[in-house]
Amino acid sequence: MTLTAQGVSMAFGGLLALDDVSLTVPERRVVGLIGPNGAGKTTLFNCLTGLYAPTSGLVLLNGRPLPPDPAEAARGGIARTFQNIRLFPELSALDNVLVGRHTRIRQGLLAALLRGPGFRRSEAEAVERARAELAFVGLDPAGRAPAGSLAYGDQRRLEIARALAGDPSVLMLDEPTAGMNATETAAVRELIAAIRERGIAVVVIEHDTKFIFSLCDHVHVLVRGRLLVDGPPEAVRADARVIEAYLGAA
Amino acid sequence: MTSTDTGSTTGVRGPVTRARRSARSVLSVRSVRRVPGAVLVLAGALSPWASVVLPGGAYPDLATLHLFDAPHLVTGFRLHLVLLGLAALLPRAARPAGAGVLIIAFVHTAFLAALGAVSFGGPVALAGGALLVWQGRREPAPRWPLPGRAVVWPALAAAFAGLLWLVSATLTAGGQSRATNPHGGAEFLAFLGFAVALLGILSAYGVLAWLSALAERHRTFSVAVLLGCAMLLPLTGAGTGYWMTVASTIGVYAATAIGLNIVVGLAGLLDLGYVAFLGIGAFTAANLAHTVPFPVAALAGAVAAGLLGVVVGAPTLRVRGDYLAIVTLAFGEIFFRAAQNDLGGLTGGANSIPGIPPITLFGQAFDRPVGALPAGFLYYALTVLMVAGAMAVLANLKHSRTGRAWLAISADEDVARAMGVHTGRAKILAFLVGATLAGLAGAVFAHKLGTVGYESFDFSESVTLLAAVILGGMGTVPGAVVGASLLFVLPEKLREFSDYRLMLFGLALILIMRLRPKGLVSS
Amino acid sequence: MATLAQQLVNGLVLGALIGLIALGYTMVYGIVQLINFAHGEVFMAGAFGAHFAYLRLLPAGTPWYLALPVMTGAAVAVSVAVAVAMERWAYRPLRGAHKLAPLITALGVSILLQEVVRVFYPGATAPLAFPRAFAGGSLTLGPVLVLWTGVLAVVVAPLLATGLHLYVERSRLGRAMRATAQDPDTARLMGIDPDRVVLATFVIGAVLAGAGAVLYGVHYTQIDTAIGFQNGIFAFTAAVLGGIGSIRGAMLGALCIGLVKSLAGQYAWGGAQYDYVWVFVLLILVLMFRPQGFLGRPEGVRA
Repeated sequence: MTLTAQGVSMAFGGLLALDDVSLTVPERRVVGLIGPNGAGKTTLFNCLTGLYAPTSGLVLLNGRPLPPDPAEAARGGIARTFQNIRLFPELSALDNVLVGRHTRIRQGLLAALLRGPGFRRSEAEAVERARAELAFVGLDPAGRAPAGSLAYGDQRRLEIARALAGDPSVLMLDEPTAGMNATETAAVRELIAAIRERGIAVVVIEHDTKFIFSLCDHVHVLVRGRLLVDGPPEAVRADARVIEAYLGAA
Repeated sequence: MTSTDTGSTTGVRGPVTRARRSARSVLSVRSVRRVPGAVLVLAGALSPWASVVLPGGAYPDLATLHLFDAPHLVTGFRLHLVLLGLAALLPRAARPAGAGVLIIAFVHTAFLAALGAVSFGGPVALAGGALLVWQGRREPAPRWPLPGRAVVWPALAAAFAGLLWLVSATLTAGGQSRATNPHGGAEFLAFLGFAVALLGILSAYGVLAWLSALAERHRTFSVAVLLGCAMLLPLTGAGTGYWMTVASTIGVYAATAIGLNIVVGLAGLLDLGYVAFLGIGAFTAANLAHTVPFPVAALAGAVAAGLLGVVVGAPTLRVRGDYLAIVTLAFGEIFFRAAQNDLGGLTGGANSIPGIPPITLFGQAFDRPVGALPAGFLYYALTVLMVAGAMAVLANLKHSRTGRAWLAISADEDVARAMGVHTGRAKILAFLVGATLAGLAGAVFAHKLGTVGYESFDFSESVTLLAAVILGGMGTVPGAVVGASLLFVLPEKLREFSDYRLMLFGLALILIMRLRPKGLVSS
Repeated sequence: MATLAQQLVNGLVLGALIGLIALGYTMVYGIVQLINFAHGEVFMAGAFGAHFAYLRLLPAGTPWYLALPVMTGAAVAVSVAVAVAMERWAYRPLRGAHKLAPLITALGVSILLQEVVRVFYPGATAPLAFPRAFAGGSLTLGPVLVLWTGVLAVVVAPLLATGLHLYVERSRLGRAMRATAQDPDTARLMGIDPDRVVLATFVIGAVLAGAGAVLYGVHYTQIDTAIGFQNGIFAFTAAVLGGIGSIRGAMLGALCIGLVKSLAGQYAWGGAQYDYVWVFVLLILVLMFRPQGFLGRPEGVRA
């Protein structure tokens, strides 16, 4: 499963937020997306997850155009987290993850009403899987606590567990370490590495360039809506234009 | 109720040490502090209440008495006060018992004052109650270990029998009308105070949490026993034709409120015209009543309401939040106007549709008595089954892919979409399911009343249903039933306040949103 | 032709009156994103305030040019008091609560106010006669009959709306309102007290509703406790139709609603019994297909 953007542009009114951006997310790779504030990172994210339909250009999942509908994108195997944590705060952690499993459960309304053996089996499997994802990200597998009552770092991890529960082929993380201390950040780095080991491609937006360079297989630098540089982390880090863009922005 | 928590390991140790500590505290200084309050309550209970002999009938429970005329023969609310006064000596019971005393004493004192009689016992009991509430401690309830099977069944059976007694006693408290008991309103409200205190005491000792955990674990058994208990209601004091009719009316609204709870409580879609679904079910069944047997008419009513639900739900594809509430209000008003003007000759307009025959199955008309059981029992049984079915629908859907999708949409629609939920489809499904339940209830409603008119489906009915859902707790399984029971029993009991009914509902909506947005049941 | 002209005039008058209520909806929604369901009751309470002033405060036989200002003052005072009380005690404590809470509270406030007036205002269980201004005089334009009260409404409503528009555009408080509507957090950082702005918005809406209530009363010469709810729904529809948050839009929308109701009552299927239905149909269609209204901007997707 590869996710590609081909010449994606996105305009809001007269403002061109993305200008002819192309990138490829290969299988089993961690791709980083960095750039100064307002560079269009989140806009690109929203195009890649079906939330926005690009003004021009194509987003392809396995060579097929991605429908401009987040629900369809999720069904296609694209899962995401949000820059400002957006859990379902009153649902339990387990139920949050079960919602993430939505696309992989087949039991509909009638099955739920009748509660036959097929339904029970499917529900038990879903719960088991959800507990496994909770354990995978390092949370209590019972997951009884309401999501809103968890500590900040745990909420971030719960978002990742929720995204993983839908068996994605591409996981999109929007600033997964925002507001975390060094220890927590290191834990997230390990978590992302483990996700890659599971065969899932990961796209990460971050401000923390050190985090990106130490983690990613491939880094894209977005400045004012345009793709400035891309390549392996060592090359990007050494690129004069990137240094200038960051120093210029700072 | 939603928690599947079944007692943790700390719960095993907790009560034992706590019990030992509280055994000590009975003798401590703190426990002595509760004594004056309790004594005041007892003194108040045993004092005469009405200072004069009232015109239009003696005050209930021998309360119009000279001092200490029959202190050993207290009954009714005075007995309740005595019981609560004694219960207040238990450390955790002081607060809830005091609250109950306050309600009972306040209600009777106020009613007596309105009748022009000064109450002696009232102020004393009020002071005692206030003292108890003030001095009682608020502690987390202890958690009890869940017992083995040998204890479970009798415990649950006893609990449901207790519930049956409480329901029956609440229904019959204060008699059935002002004609037979001029003080019925006061007696009813005071009994509610006693019931609240009882539940509060049980809750303070963790008994309610223990029972609901038990019931959750032994779900099938609990449902069976609960249904059995409900069917035994006709054998209690509430077993008259009148109470059966009241109970089945409540059942109709409860089933409708459960449907609304799916739409509002689970999917988070505020529907301000919901009673239209009850209405279309009722009108459909009424029009078919003379031509097809009841099950067919009921099915037709449910289908018609479900279709209307899809129509009303369709705008959810484009309209969000507050605007959706206004759209549903507009649909409700359109339905009401159409029914008022006898659209297509289907509603009878101002004349209503009269003469709807009672449901008849196997040659038995539902409005006739069966054997020794009172008339109206069959309608009662039918509505009990209907409410149980609606509760099962709500509970089953809540813990399923569909229900989780609804809850997700309710919390954050954009994120629900990002999780792969087809939100439009899910929302229309919520309207479909909720409306179908209401339509089914409407069919029963039509047959039971024998006549259906547009005025049963005006905006205030939608508000009442919404208030029932909110009062009971949005999204909870028993919530809508509790809320509907309260909101439809209270007007029946308090006819002298019927003019204030809607005013109090409005006030209740404001206060609940402010103080307890999750409703009464969720505590 | 004469009927059409007459209905157009009737619609125009109704539109002007609804417009004054719609301004309150549009301002409050623009600033706190609350459908203040109870705003219609602010209008209704104003009408009863004016009625009370006429019956109890003024000596019998007061000429209209003295009575009208006193009644307007009473209506505005009652409306403002009701609006301030509801903002302070019902809505303000709810900021940041469950998302259905404000709307349900608004519903509760609406019912409470209606019922309080119905139960406690003497005679309010039935429609009450409202004093006539100008002793029933009217203007005849060819075949069309226009009551002077209608002329008054059509003149005063746009004047008030224009005044409001200028106030919001030019004054300090108006600027604070626009800032709060755009971004409450930034406005707070700029030293604007959002509580004051919100309260001021409620007060302005109430002043307009109170004035509208007197105009409504003298024109239709009858009030009851349901006028707030009905006209409130119309006014809300008007506010949405015109683009919620827009003052000009609210007046424009109200004009449409007035015309639709009076023309539908005359010409549409079902006649006068269904005129309300057509307004509701219009409401549903607008909310579905152009929720941003005539003059509003489409709402973006949050992410």
